[in-house]
Amino acid sequence: MKISSNWLKEHIDLGLSAPELSAALLKLGFEIAGVQRLGPTFSGVVVGKVLAKEKHPNADKLAVCVVDDGDKQWSVVCGAPNVAAGQTIAFARIGAILPGNFKIEGRKLRGVESQGMICSRAELGLPKDVDGIWIMGEGPALGADVGSLLGPADDVLEIEITANRPDCLSHRGLARELAAALGKALKPLSASVAETLSDAFPVVVETPNACPFYGLRLLAGVKVGESPAWLKTRLEAIGLRPVNNVVDVTNYILHDVGQPLHAFDADKLAGGKIVVRRSKAGEKFLALDHKEHVLPEGLLVIADAEKPVALAGVMGGEDSSVTAATTRVVLEGAYFAPSEVRRASQATRLRSDSSYRFERGADLEAARWASARAAALILQLAGGAASKLSESSKPTAKGVSIKTSVARLNAILGADFKSEEVLDALKRIAADLSGNAAEFTFTPPTWRHDLATANDLAEEIGRFLGYDRIAYRLAPLSPQAATITPVEAASRRVRARLSALGLTEAYNYDLLSEKSLSFARLAADGLPRIDNPLSEDWAVMRPSLLPGLLKNAQHNLSRGADAVRLFELGKAYSQKDGLASEQWRAAGLLLGPVLDARWQPARSPRASFPDAKAAVEALLSGLGAVAWAKPGEGAAESWVCDPLFHPTNSLRALLDGKPVATVGWLHPRAARAFDLDREGAVLFEANLETLASHPAPRAKFQEFSPLPVSRRDLALVVDKSLPYGRVEETARSCGIAELQDLSLFDVYEGKNLPEGKKSLAIRLTFGRSDRTLLDTEVAAFVAKIMTALTEKAGAVLRG
Amino acid sequence: MEPTTNRAAWDQAHARVESALRGAGVAQCADLLQLEEVRVRFLGRKSELTELLKSLKDLPLDDKKEAGPKGQALKTSFEEALEARRATLEEAGDAAALAQDAIDLSLPSVRPPRGRLHPLTTTMHSIADIFQRMGYSWAEGPFIEDERHNFSALNIPEDHPARDSHDTFYLSGLDRLLRTHTSTVQVREMEKPGAKNKPLRVVCPGRVFRHEQIDATHSAIFAQVEGLVIDEGIGFADLKGHLQAFLEHLLGAETKTRFRPSYFPFTEPSTEVDVKCFFCPGTGCPACKHTGWIEILGAGVVNPKVLAAAGWDAEKWNGFAFGIGVERVAMLKHHVRDIRDFYINDLRFLKQFDEDLV
Repeated sequence: MKISSNWLKEHIDLGLSAPELSAALLKLGFEIAGVQRLGPTFSGVVVGKVLAKEKHPNADKLAVCVVDDGDKQWSVVCGAPNVAAGQTIAFARIGAILPGNFKIEGRKLRGVESQGMICSRAELGLPKDVDGIWIMGEGPALGADVGSLLGPADDVLEIEITANRPDCLSHRGLARELAAALGKALKPLSASVAETLSDAFPVVVETPNACPFYGLRLLAGVKVGESPAWLKTRLEAIGLRPVNNVVDVTNYILHDVGQPLHAFDADKLAGGKIVVRRSKAGEKFLALDHKEHVLPEGLLVIADAEKPVALAGVMGGEDSSVTAATTRVVLEGAYFAPSEVRRASQATRLRSDSSYRFERGADLEAARWASARAAALILQLAGGAASKLSESSKPTAKGVSIKTSVARLNAILGADFKSEEVLDALKRIAADLSGNAAEFTFTPPTWRHDLATANDLAEEIGRFLGYDRIAYRLAPLSPQAATITPVEAASRRVRARLSALGLTEAYNYDLLSEKSLSFARLAADGLPRIDNPLSEDWAVMRPSLLPGLLKNAQHNLSRGADAVRLFELGKAYSQKDGLASEQWRAAGLLLGPVLDARWQPARSPRASFPDAKAAVEALLSGLGAVAWAKPGEGAAESWVCDPLFHPTNSLRALLDGKPVATVGWLHPRAARAFDLDREGAVLFEANLETLASHPAPRAKFQEFSPLPVSRRDLALVVDKSLPYGRVEETARSCGIAELQDLSLFDVYEGKNLPEGKKSLAIRLTFGRSDRTLLDTEVAAFVAKIMTALTEKAGAVLRG
Repeated sequence: MEPTTNRAAWDQAHARVESALRGAGVAQCADLLQLEEVRVRFLGRKSELTELLKSLKDLPLDDKKEAGPKGQALKTSFEEALEARRATLEEAGDAAALAQDAIDLSLPSVRPPRGRLHPLTTTMHSIADIFQRMGYSWAEGPFIEDERHNFSALNIPEDHPARDSHDTFYLSGLDRLLRTHTSTVQVREMEKPGAKNKPLRVVCPGRVFRHEQIDATHSAIFAQVEGLVIDEGIGFADLKGHLQAFLEHLLGAETKTRFRPSYFPFTEPSTEVDVKCFFCPGTGCPACKHTGWIEILGAGVVNPKVLAAAGWDAEKWNGFAFGIGVERVAMLKHHVRDIRDFYINDLRFLKQFDEDLV
């Protein structure tokens, strides 16, 4: 909200500069977004007359003018298209200083001497009216100082008024707040009008709960015209455009005392009456925004005998608005229930200074006197006579009294303010405080809807006496052990493990575009959708973290990265049977060289499936018996992200038949979509909540044997299609307790092997904790394993 | 074995061996291999020296006493000569190897792949950890919420303008929304079975959603850490104490704060907390919008209506609550100018946050 310092002075004398006023307001809880200095911020500018205008000899768009400043004549180069001989203009003489400390000097423009400058309003720091120079019209005397003609400078404060303080949304309201806070006096306010007209305009209120007070006053014989300069200056200072003397008065009163008013052209109201009622479904309303609104049923409207002429408290209608031809005006002053106005404003997406105040809560008692003040001002500016007020009812504001004590307020604040100080501050808000420090009754004024409980009063005390006077207390509280949630515990574990494997953490948004889903060939159905997305990019909730990571990979590659190793912890969403659900996930993507050592290529292979598998194994360790299956194998449910994985080169980890993770190559078609073809990206996604529900068991030390072990290496020749896992499984299931370890150390395909075969080299480690094994025993173990491998895996020893 | 019968014969053999050893050419051995050959030839099991020493046992006792040390001395001095030569040869070899093995020490290091945590994770943890040390438990709740937990239980009724500052994403066809603050978690904690009317101290970190246009300082999705303390006999002074302690831990012991009045529907009295600008000496700079102060968190005494809505005895229990934006703190801490950088995941950005590595 904009507050003009000059306007504020009509209500209170504070003797504060703009920075001092800003500081005082901030201490009361009103933030200042900015201060603008209006009015003459220039000097040396006088009223001049253009005597002659000629084309500039060297420039098409410039003119050379002769300007008379009442004393002398000057030759001035001017580039404005609207300059003409005979105009009265603002002339900056040589030596004048314009806003921004711009000094006017005599200088040559394209070879012609310019002895000053003809100014536009913008160049003088004034609100702009037309393009080009300021044409001042007849009246001001030649040579008069333009700054003095404009009146005193004004500081306009842009103040952020919080939603609980609609009573401060006007100059009078803010003055009242400052008077109470600073213990100053408000200036008196005139609010009466001579009611000489015997006609009245009938009012029917069908919905007294939604509109507890409605008052109408007829003003006849009104002459609509331009507002006087003082009124225009007031409105322009706070950024409003003057319209005519009737409309300007209603706007002025709104910003002066905070009461929204509306003026109708009485002769455009069908049936000569006003009804406050609810809208019927489909009823049409042409608002002052020049748009026709089709109303839903049940909004509060002001109607004539035929149709709505205003949306109550929000906006008037175009058809009944006051125009230059209007002579009879009906002036509305009313109170509408906040929720009614908000609902109507939201349903029609119409907002106004009026709706802004009503939906926060106006002052029920102000409607009467503010409308009288407005009527008096209209009569003063536009002539005519006023009728009595036609009222729906006598306004009766019911303030809820608060019964409390100084001790209670001090307890809420943890403060030790003296009783006199507290009671004195409260009396400045509502004079009729009764009782004493031990128990008093406070009845808030009709404009303070925010005061209803002891806590509300405690805040007033804090604001008026100062939060800085309350101590910092760090008293011991009831003892409590700080815990963390299982998901947070799992997240910390996962972050530690994945970052130790060289993955960097990413943060992506939870919302995706439908296009990026179809890009990734993920189904958009079965996902929660946003009803009111910011844009198409944010229409659907993500079913997986992987589309985000793929986008990140694409982004980084296109910016020159050659390796991308990212992980993310976040939520994935789904919707089924009208129920949206969310699940914590951990996902990752690896692509490119695993080491940052391009000069040692042998040491830095590109990330491949085993790297991603290592990440998933790190996540799943401690989880218990995890089974691995290819997607499509086993009966487990599928994941929405499955189509991102290569159909054969990927694995799913199952716990109790339920998928906990998927790991594998990126599907070639998804790779193409994200410009990752030939990058060999591998990725994984895991259900973090499963990990959270299986906390890692505490490590338990196990004694190891001090005795030497026996190692045997076997080079096996097997079918190319045989998975290594079969070899390991077969060897381990031979029932040899002494087999302590089995590891793969070479995989070879190619020369010196029969067609369709490959070689797997494994190392077997045998040992016992009570004695050293004999060579013969080890030989027997190896033979047993070899026999099983031949029978079950078709393996032969490589010759 | 044929016994060596007399001393004279033994002395003769000794003289012969001594002379042979002298001519063994230990000092002439060119490398360790030759030296080893010499050693085997003269000290091996079948060597003359070994035979000589073995034959000592066949001498009469008196002779043995005299000849024994003589024979031993012969062996010892030969061994010493061998050892001296070995040392010389090894040293020469080392010198050659050292010269040969010189590597380029200026080549770049080869590091194992190294991951970093996102700056918002570390910032969120640095905030929450301070409160955890003050006895606040970590609490979480769903991102998809209902109207009651997000608004009405927090004294933000329908058709109230306070909702204007919480522009909300709604889900299509469902009576659900994306939470606009983590105060929802506070409601859930207050309403947890068994939690009612007992001291409560929680910190609620997490992601929230606001229907706002995104620009350099606004993100429609961002993270908050909110906190709630309920106990008996606490008030605004405790809020000031806790938040002052928190800010001193977060920003440094010299941190100056300013508590100024504000409005939140769920707290009364409410406050916004500013810290003295740490980029300028209070004279004003772009970071503090030329005010000398930086707005850092919102807080207040829990509105009794909120306690009552959760079924607490609002006469007996008091509390305070606060909220802090994680991105804002991370931006201040790391001098990040554009909030969107946190969500683009450019590695050139993420790589820079290294000091917080686990």
